[in-house]
Amino acid sequence: MSAKVLLHVGTPKTGTSYLQDVLFRNQRVLAQHGILYPADRFDAHFLAALDLMRLPWGGLEAEAVGAWDRLAARVREHRGTAVVSHEILATASRSQVGRALESLGHGSGTEVHLVLSVRDLVRQIPAEWQENVKHRSTLSYAAFLEQVRDPARESRIATWFWGVQEIPDILDRWGHDLPPERVHLVTVPPPGGAPEVLWQRFSRTFGLDGIDLDLHAERANPSLGVPETALLRRVNRAVNAVVEPAHYRPLVRELLAHQTLSRRTRSPRLALPPDVHPWAQQLAAAWSQEVARRGYDVVGDLADLVGAPPLSRWSDPDRPAERQVAGAGVEAVKALLLENVRLREEEARLHEELAETRRALDRSYLRPSYRLREKVVRRLQSGAAGRGALRVYRRVRGRSSRSA
Amino acid sequence: MTAPVTAGEPGERRAWGWVASLREGGTTPWAAWSGEGEARGRVLPGAQQLELLRRLNEAGHPTPELVRRVLEASAPGRGRPDLELVGAVDPGPFGPRPVDPADLPDDELVRVATSVLADDLAAAALPDPAAVPRRPPWRHRFRLVGDPWLADAARRALVERGRAPGGRGARVLVLADDLGAMLADAWRHRVLTEGAPPWRDWLADTVSRDRVPPRVDVARALDTWSGRAGRDRVRLVLDPAALPRLTGTRTPLPPAPVLSADGAELARRTAPVLGLLALPERRARLLREAFLPRLAALGGPPLGVPPELAGWVRGRAERVREEVLAAGYPVVGDVDRLLPRLREGAREPSDAGVLDLAVRLLLAGDGRDTPTRTEDHR
Repeated sequence: MSAKVLLHVGTPKTGTSYLQDVLFRNQRVLAQHGILYPADRFDAHFLAALDLMRLPWGGLEAEAVGAWDRLAARVREHRGTAVVSHEILATASRSQVGRALESLGHGSGTEVHLVLSVRDLVRQIPAEWQENVKHRSTLSYAAFLEQVRDPARESRIATWFWGVQEIPDILDRWGHDLPPERVHLVTVPPPGGAPEVLWQRFSRTFGLDGIDLDLHAERANPSLGVPETALLRRVNRAVNAVVEPAHYRPLVRELLAHQTLSRRTRSPRLALPPDVHPWAQQLAAAWSQEVARRGYDVVGDLADLVGAPPLSRWSDPDRPAERQVAGAGVEAVKALLLENVRLREEEARLHEELAETRRALDRSYLRPSYRLREKVVRRLQSGAAGRGALRVYRRVRGRSSRSA
Repeated sequence: MTAPVTAGEPGERRAWGWVASLREGGTTPWAAWSGEGEARGRVLPGAQQLELLRRLNEAGHPTPELVRRVLEASAPGRGRPDLELVGAVDPGPFGPRPVDPADLPDDELVRVATSVLADDLAAAALPDPAAVPRRPPWRHRFRLVGDPWLADAARRALVERGRAPGGRGARVLVLADDLGAMLADAWRHRVLTEGAPPWRDWLADTVSRDRVPPRVDVARALDTWSGRAGRDRVRLVLDPAALPRLTGTRTPLPPAPVLSADGAELARRTAPVLGLLALPERRARLLREAFLPRLAALGGPPLGVPPELAGWVRGRAERVREEVLAAGYPVVGDVDRLLPRLREGAREPSDAGVLDLAVRLLLAGDGRDTPTRTEDHR
């Protein structure tokens, strides 16, 4: 049974991909310090979360069967500190939370700590829309905002958004059984600050200070600008019906969005429209007050949740500057062409390899011993007795070359 | 979010009283409930779970085990979270609004039901695949293609009789029916295999592309198989009674299972949840061999084409009929069977019907399978 479990349940777009990448790549170093990050693949905790919450995810769920139970079993078997981290856990229901906590040892002697990393709504709302677009959505920004702001919260967009973003509600569900001092809120610093500050907060919360970790990032979930997101939404409209999720992930989300369009950092950034901005800031202020009242351990500053003031020039992703979209489009075409070149070269290499294999096969057919054996087999197959003898020979030999 | 009230406040005591009454088989709606009770759990179950239990109580007598499973279930997939009961907690400034469970749409209750049904299915025992008898050398050699619902059912029945399809020089039998029925068959087949969007959406997409799915595209199938096997080896089969003769068996084949509109929709919604409980191969068998017979046994109106799309279906079917006649393919049966016929049935599934079916299935399966999550079952 683990002595201590640090359970990081969200929220999305708060540096979670970077944290999980560092934990995944440093498993050995962490183990030397008694810390277990149980993952045999980068997305192991994501799959476990899908399993726990019974969340189909474009076919990936087939790889998630039994993933939570396996993860929890490894945590229970460990004797030191264990870390579990995935941001979509934020949306778990109360009964799923109960099952998760119990399976990790809560109530059986394990000290479970909840970690929630949080960022201001001013950045989270556009970031969530962008995440939707990166997951095939064709919804306009205006429609997204309307659904999110609808008090009924009945749409799929709204239920998901508030499920993973409404800090007091997430803490109600996940922190219900835990004393406030075991609930840790890590705030993401405001934009423009030193990039290492967030890591320092994570490091302190997860007890990683003093451990020599490789902090080089291999995976991240970078953001896109306004014209890039607008382009991606148009791409979704064109390809959703014809590109399966299994191909969409590597080609559109990874190649186009993450590896290509996210590098265009000089284009206008996504932001809240000026008329929505005050509403988001008021809501964040109410959350801050509520969180402060509950007495959780805050790592950082609750003032971080208020968010930056509105931009002087807001760029509407539903009406982007077409020149900028065209520029992003050219970059996208270039990336796809380069990928095509790579695949063509690979195809040519494989053709050559196949041809070489065929030539080698032909050479072996031409060897006198092969031709003699072939002649014998042909003769044996022409008569019933010969066929029987061949069957016996093949059975004795035990090879898979028996006739089907 | 609704701010949690102090344990023991009247609203919460009333809610726990309602939970206790539902556990005992009560059917009183929440709005009419006034009794109180003690807390019997970590948290109050969600409004969806409680209302589903009330519906189960109205329809029958769920066992304590089923009651427990329903109350502990969470709605799978994306959608509304577990909701609080209005009047049980003080509505606070955070979280989803509390609801009167009677106001919940049937669709929300179906979500919870699919989770419990998927558990039932995942626990179901499947027989070992039967050994295929050896094919005698003098057998009829055939291949069954076309309408996947008809072809799969016929293939399964024939294999059980030792008449497995295949072999060199096999005759290709393209099974078909009227286009309306074949479209419903194609959708049902997809529901039980790779998963499908709702019937209306799927059909609207098919019509908007003016292209039927490949398996029920009769003209294309005839063309393709003629090219592959030779025209003289291909038959368009529109008379199911002729299949035994064409496949070399004497007794008639059982008809393809009839899956109602609501049954297909329930399968469509349960299949993705099952995808998180069973590996793909076992999931496919569970849907086909465990779920389909249970759904078929409960009956219900079959699926039909909505009137607004009937014109497109008729036009398309007439075109195919003309192509078949013009190309001169051998037809077993009346070629007019390709044209849509007037059939009784539902134009689309209804949420109320799907929920009713789910409730009956839960009660029928109560105690039959013991849900476990062992590696063996995956």
